[in-house]
Amino acid sequence: MSAITVSGSFAREQLRAPLTVVLLVAVPAFFVLIFAGVLGEFAKALGGTLEARSATAISAGWAAAFLSGTLGFFQLGSSRGADRRLAAAGLGAARVALARIAAALLLAMTVAAVAFLTLWIRSGIGHPLHAAVGIAAFAAIYIGVGAVVGAFITGALEGSLLVVLVFSLDAFTGPQMTDNGGGIGAFMPTRRAADLLIAAGGGHGSPSADWLGVAAVAFSALALALIAFWLVARTREA
Amino acid sequence: MTTATLERPASEQRVDDQCPVVGHCVLRVEGLEKSFRHGLPLHRRRKSVLTGASLMVCSGELVGLVGENGSGKSTLMQIVVGLLARDGGEVEQLGRLGYCPQTPMLWEKLTVDEHFALFARAYGLDDEAREKAVADLVMELQFERYRAYRVEELSGGTRQKLNLALALMHEPQLLLLDEPYSGFDWETYLRFWEMSERRRDGGMGILIVSHFLTERERLDRVYELRDGEAVET
Repeated sequence: MSAITVSGSFAREQLRAPLTVVLLVAVPAFFVLIFAGVLGEFAKALGGTLEARSATAISAGWAAAFLSGTLGFFQLGSSRGADRRLAAAGLGAARVALARIAAALLLAMTVAAVAFLTLWIRSGIGHPLHAAVGIAAFAAIYIGVGAVVGAFITGALEGSLLVVLVFSLDAFTGPQMTDNGGGIGAFMPTRRAADLLIAAGGGHGSPSADWLGVAAVAFSALALALIAFWLVARTREA
Repeated sequence: MTTATLERPASEQRVDDQCPVVGHCVLRVEGLEKSFRHGLPLHRRRKSVLTGASLMVCSGELVGLVGENGSGKSTLMQIVVGLLARDGGEVEQLGRLGYCPQTPMLWEKLTVDEHFALFARAYGLDDEAREKAVADLVMELQFERYRAYRVEELSGGTRQKLNLALALMHEPQLLLLDEPYSGFDWETYLRFWEMSERRRDGGMGILIVSHFLTERERLDRVYELRDGEAVET
């Protein structure tokens, strides 16, 4: 049984909840078809300049972020004891953490693909590759958010509420959402990915420097998630 | 504060003269200390659970650990396993360790066989060794027909059987059992003691959290946790 199979077991564990599978399809559809309109109206009310096509594009990113964040959180929350027991039995915290991050990535990229397809079907995309990278970055960043929250908050209710709070702050302070364009939104983790996705939704490409920035944030988030998974699975030997 | 978790071939294992029965010391706990903090940051309170607990378990011994609720029995076991950090003291453990927690630590949506596969990987068992160990254990504990069931579909007693089987599948030299029979029916309870005694006779060192006075006659020695210290009774 290889390490990949351990990841497969962890991913299966998540996908065996029928409601989770339904939400993997329903949430992207809801975000792209309904949430995008709300986001656009909200931006107008705040004096922002978010156009309808960009709002639709960025909503696909938010769908991937929302699902990845909650799945990342519950990967930690629901299996904390069993993961630690497995690590203590000899698999080790590092291998458990690697298996968890691989399972989280598999689920997140599935979610990102569903969100991308929903966006494609709904409105078409001027720069599909840019949009795909942007949506995948949203998913990866929120694995980090969900895992970090899960590492420190053990309660399911408190933890999921905190993930939703970060998500809401992030979504409603994003680029082009307000007239001043700054504030707390400048420091939120998806800022660069949102810029990429908004540009792709508006039919514009983004320069390579922006891509590198998005990649740096996404990999940093994944590194944080890996540390969070390791913290939860580690044994106290020394 | 040191801990040594040693894996040595049987031929190299030392005979500990302190062992009250002839055999190798497979667990030595010396002066173990542990306290927990409670409350909000500005109103933190510290509760000491273990204040210098010492005990030992030798191979071929069935040792009981008793004490009131909250006396630190599970805490002591979790420190030995490595699930909790200790504040002071030494833990020396020799050989393979098996641990059966009080509350089954399992994945709700994975099947019994998938649990065995994951733990076989952790224990380093190959497919053949795993299948033999699993076949023997599910027959011994009589839950063969549940191998394809998910944990969420199992009764409390069957979950506990799986919980115990996972601790036994690699034939540990030291077995820590934290109230392993909660949820067992009477027949399974008796079978559990037969299994434990058979393994003890085969050389396994077993430390078991026990509550019932009637079980004392089954145990070679008993430690009672009182005021954070382990007293042999």
